[in-house]
Amino acid sequence: MQLWSELRELEDGIDYGTPPRQGSPVTLEVDGQSITVPSGSSVMLAAAKARRNIPKLCATDTLEAWGSCRLCLVEIEGRSGFPASCTTIVSEGMVVKTQSEKLQQLRKGVLELYLSDFPAEDVEGGWSEFHDMLAQCGVKSHPYEPAETHLESAVDASNPYFLFDPAKCIVCNRCVRACEEIQGTFALTIQGRGFDSKVAAGQDQTFFQSDCVSCGACVQTCPSQALVEKSLFEGEYSRG
Amino acid sequence: MSQSQEHSTSTFPSRAIPIERLIVMANQIAAFFAPYPAARRAEGIRNHLRTYWDPRMRQDLIDYVAGGGNGLSPYVNDGVGLLVNGGDKKGYYGPPKA
Amino acid sequence: MANPIKPDKSVTTTCAYCGVGCGFKAETHQGRIVRMMPWKEGKANHGHSCIKGRFAFDYYVSEDRIRTPMIRSSIDDPWTPVTWEKAIAHAASELRRVQSKYGNKSVGAISSSRCTNEEIFLTQKFARAVLGNNNIDNCARICHSPTQFGLSATVGWGAASQHFDSILQADVIMVVGANPTEGHPVFGSLLKRRVRQGAKLIVIDPRKTETVESPHIKAHAHLNLRPGTNVAVLDSIANVVVRERLFNEAFVKERCEWDEFQRWAEFVSSDRYSPEAIGAEAGVDPELIRKAARMYASGPNSTIYYGLGVTEHSQGSTGVMCLGNLSLACGMLGREGVGINPLRGQGNVQGGSCLGSWPHVFSGYRFVTDDDVRKTFEDDWGVTLDSEPGLRLPNMFDAAIAGHFRGMYIMGEDPVQSDPNQGHIIEAMRQMECVVVQDLFLNETAKYAHVFLPGSSSLEKDGTFTSAERRVNRVRKVVEPLAGYQDWEVLVMLMNAMGYPVKYAHAGEILDEIARLSPAYKGISFDLLDRVGSAQWPCDENAPEGTEVLHREKFPRANGRGTFMLTEYVPTAERTNDKFPLLLTTGRILTQYNVGTQTRRTANNRWHSEDVLEISEHDAKSRGINDGDRVKIASRFGSTELKAKYSTRVASGIVYTTFHHAETRINVITSDLSDWATNCPEYKVTAVEVVRVEKRDAAKRSKSVTHTETVPA
Repeated sequence: MQLWSELRELEDGIDYGTPPRQGSPVTLEVDGQSITVPSGSSVMLAAAKARRNIPKLCATDTLEAWGSCRLCLVEIEGRSGFPASCTTIVSEGMVVKTQSEKLQQLRKGVLELYLSDFPAEDVEGGWSEFHDMLAQCGVKSHPYEPAETHLESAVDASNPYFLFDPAKCIVCNRCVRACEEIQGTFALTIQGRGFDSKVAAGQDQTFFQSDCVSCGACVQTCPSQALVEKSLFEGEYSRG
Repeated sequence: MSQSQEHSTSTFPSRAIPIERLIVMANQIAAFFAPYPAARRAEGIRNHLRTYWDPRMRQDLIDYVAGGGNGLSPYVNDGVGLLVNGGDKKGYYGPPKA
Repeated sequence: MANPIKPDKSVTTTCAYCGVGCGFKAETHQGRIVRMMPWKEGKANHGHSCIKGRFAFDYYVSEDRIRTPMIRSSIDDPWTPVTWEKAIAHAASELRRVQSKYGNKSVGAISSSRCTNEEIFLTQKFARAVLGNNNIDNCARICHSPTQFGLSATVGWGAASQHFDSILQADVIMVVGANPTEGHPVFGSLLKRRVRQGAKLIVIDPRKTETVESPHIKAHAHLNLRPGTNVAVLDSIANVVVRERLFNEAFVKERCEWDEFQRWAEFVSSDRYSPEAIGAEAGVDPELIRKAARMYASGPNSTIYYGLGVTEHSQGSTGVMCLGNLSLACGMLGREGVGINPLRGQGNVQGGSCLGSWPHVFSGYRFVTDDDVRKTFEDDWGVTLDSEPGLRLPNMFDAAIAGHFRGMYIMGEDPVQSDPNQGHIIEAMRQMECVVVQDLFLNETAKYAHVFLPGSSSLEKDGTFTSAERRVNRVRKVVEPLAGYQDWEVLVMLMNAMGYPVKYAHAGEILDEIARLSPAYKGISFDLLDRVGSAQWPCDENAPEGTEVLHREKFPRANGRGTFMLTEYVPTAERTNDKFPLLLTTGRILTQYNVGTQTRRTANNRWHSEDVLEISEHDAKSRGINDGDRVKIASRFGSTELKAKYSTRVASGIVYTTFHHAETRINVITSDLSDWATNCPEYKVTAVEVVRVEKRDAAKRSKSVTHTETVPA
């Protein structure tokens, strides 16, 4: 049954990274530990069940896997390269390695890139998933020269309950997917490409003007507090 | 409420709620049970009044029927008839217990 | 600082806003709620939320919340703040004075679906054991009382047969008189998910709601019937089911009363219920009726969700029976993916129904006229109880006007705003000698009260709610009650002051009493809920963690079989004529909740700051009404003013509005007609006329509205 375990097996305080499935059992090895999960599960979920949490940003267990953040890379015996664990489905006898020097290096590189376009003064004292990932991968700074960033983009504070600060957005698409998959309103899109890509509510409208119904799913799923509740701030929101 | 009903009911000394309301309510109940065979219809109306109506409202209806029952559906009279002398079971008139 | 405050504490509790019953983690920082986070393990919401539960919580610290008890000797006097002791003593002596002057039955009590199960149960105990009569009712009277009546009559229990997730196994979803994407948004999202996966959707509703059409959703059949013709259309669907032999004969023979089925089949197959005959009466294409019937009957899993569009009619109970008949005939009960499910408006309507806040039944729907049942309560409570049903809410008002009713205790309800034919209610309230209102705010009803006891919000108390899926969810105190006491504690003080000693150490002990006296709740306790999160009743030794799907093997009736009721279509007495040629129907909007007491005090008002009248462009233009004009809407009961909005959601001949704002006073115009079986008001059909208000008048009028809005302090 579609969506059954996807909803019913979610657990408070745990993010398996991809939705729980309910197929026949498949046994694999993660970092030397044997783990059995339903077929159709991702390697990321299997690792989480084995308490080997793989770093991730665009993945969360309330949304289908997306595979864009490149943080959840792993090594799999017999496969070349570094597959994303969120979009790789488990198979019987698979041998997965979630930690290695190479993986650490790759993840660090990814995070440093994100960090280069994130407000520097908000790295300390933040408590988002993004901040957790920085801590988990031991990234505190980035080596890049000052370049074009999103720090000048305007904050959309039109909604009375939450705001969107593009400077903190890592364009992981979780908000867009939550609006579609969970809420079913289809109010958000990613506009533009590459550096110009940005989250947009409707046709270049503010959140308040758009079809957004303020269910809060996008705010809840945002890993970097780019979408964040206004109630968590004393007074007006200001950068820096 | 039509003028004629108001005229005919204005002197009725109600115990709980205005008799005009009772007439409307009783006729609605009768309209629901209308498609049933006569015996079940009367029982249905009686059971409903017995189970859901404050006894003062029931007594008002009984008295009103006794006084001619102007404006009431004849099915109400049948139900009220059972209420008065249909072997009052005393107590429970709800649906059969599970 | 652009980094947000990090909450320092989190309490898992249940949203009070609607019948879905979403689990939330209420996060606080230094004792103040800063965020409501949907709980991933909430069985109804699985981590999802809507604008109300997620964001609209600030009402609890609204400046106009009343923090001190108040009394006054006349409703024309100003309020005098007093101590709790004095207010309770005054309320107690006044209620007793009224009883000694006008008789034992001259007073009554009203509870609300915003209260916890424990408070609702305690309110009925207060009426029966302390006031000594059965004049106890609750606001489900005016919304879902027909559900209890109509479902009990056919399938045995007046409650949803399924759990919400069951919809994920449905192939055909029939939504009747409900608009889940606005009224029950989190369930609405689940429904939309299922439709996007390929389930077929049938909507029976006069209005082209968002449920009918939204991004990636389009109903396969929308029967946009004329308000008031539900029973006709449902009988006509049954007509097709029987005539085309689409019913499930094996199911009916095995699980239902076959003789009653045959009687019903003959009744509905009459020509007067043919799609052609009814299509004309209801304004629906006969082919759509056939399509809906065939779709529903063919399933394989078909499920029904319905709302107040079914119940709030003079044939509300009959409409519910039609749905019961249909699901029995097609065998759509007793497994996952099927069923018949009322969508409850307020957070605890199901609890309100279950827990005996009715004039004719104790908790668990057991009749006060039943000697055996009454004895169990008498033994537990140590008093003799009245063996006759008491007055229903509307009858209490009628009785006040007739001179037989003079006092009321009202917990968390605002009948002056929410009940129909407001002029009549106000006239009744003015007759009362002692009205005790317990609420967060000085609501409309408080204008006619003599004692005001400050209430506590659901964020400030312990207890349980029972959601629309029969799920008993735990409500946990997140912050301290603003005025010092949880609502149940106030009621306990009042009971003691009136000479009936009661003592509960905490709300869980009231739940234990509920479990002791109500078979369906037998296994439910704070311990169980803390352990398993939530449980759907019936919960007992056979189902220690509750029951998700009802009627799997038999129906809870004496012979275990489902039965069929004859459901003759009786057109409502409320009809259009030359003077009132349009039909008004009422409903809800996403951002506001019920009479708006809470949501109007939040930023949700920015989306819906006033109730507007949806009118078709055709009807508007023929009356010289421009989009956005202020209009007067009049019925034979009264008139009020609001803003008109051109809408394609309503057909010509029909106008629609919401009832969230007190200043709209929409219930000034709603009729005094009600359901034949339960007196649930016919909110959904009122014959009206709409005329444009000249600008100067409008300005004057809005000034006077602002004036009356000021509550007397």
